[in-house]
Amino acid sequence: MLEALLFAMLSGVAVGCALGVVFHRNPVHCALLLVGVLLSLSGIFIMLHAQFVAALQVIIYAGAIMVLFLFVVMLLNVKGETPLLTPGAAKGFGFFFALIIFVEILWTVLSPGGQEGAPSEAMPLPRDFGSPAALGRLLYTTWLYPFEITSILLLVAVVGAVVLAKRKFF
Amino acid sequence: MGGLQTVPLLWYQILAAILFTIGVVGVLVRRSALVIFMSIELMLNAVNLSLVAFSRQNGNMDGHIIVFFVMAVAAAEVSVGLAILVSIFRSRETANVDDVHLLKG
Repeated sequence: MLEALLFAMLSGVAVGCALGVVFHRNPVHCALLLVGVLLSLSGIFIMLHAQFVAALQVIIYAGAIMVLFLFVVMLLNVKGETPLLTPGAAKGFGFFFALIIFVEILWTVLSPGGQEGAPSEAMPLPRDFGSPAALGRLLYTTWLYPFEITSILLLVAVVGAVVLAKRKFF
Repeated sequence: MGGLQTVPLLWYQILAAILFTIGVVGVLVRRSALVIFMSIELMLNAVNLSLVAFSRQNGNMDGHIIVFFVMAVAAAEVSVGLAILVSIFRSRETANVDDVHLLKG
């Protein structure tokens, strides 16, 4: 009961802030509302026994990525756009396609085949489920190669960002 | 830690679907490239939520690892994307995607 209440609260905050991100005029407010979404999602992660992922969510997303966003918003000094949304038929098509995607996802989730493979009751969890130790053990054994490839990806991203921000391409 | 779970998996998935759809709306209808990036983050987070919920249901931590990789890719994507955005803004004085529709610089 308490858990359901908590879920309702957190998901309400998440959906409200997400709508704010999309429909708010000022980009700074959009970024701050996105922080609200990320923090409430990290609360939901804790409800799902994913403590370490919740901590990563706060540190990486709400900490690093959002600081980068706010930094660029301040740097660019973008004024609030006068027509907020794309004008003309593109807007109508946008909402229409989003609705189609939503219906598709709901169809998949709610159809009997959608839950296939997932146990109907939540499995009993091992004692160290979601702990940094368990995640690290998995990361450095089963997922070692993807992990190393990620480091190359991050290196490429760092070099790319420096090169793009420094040279005058245009 | 038992198998007791009062919030069913379905609710988490519906929440993820709603957040993902809001992200799609943002990408499709907003004009500011910055807000489009934020909407992409929103979609990535919706998928992360779905992965963590399935991970909890199966009692298997592989979903957490994939979330970890999604976060790393998101960080890389944002750093490069925002660098491109700054570069475009320097030459065009705009962050509006409707104004940047030519490959020619």
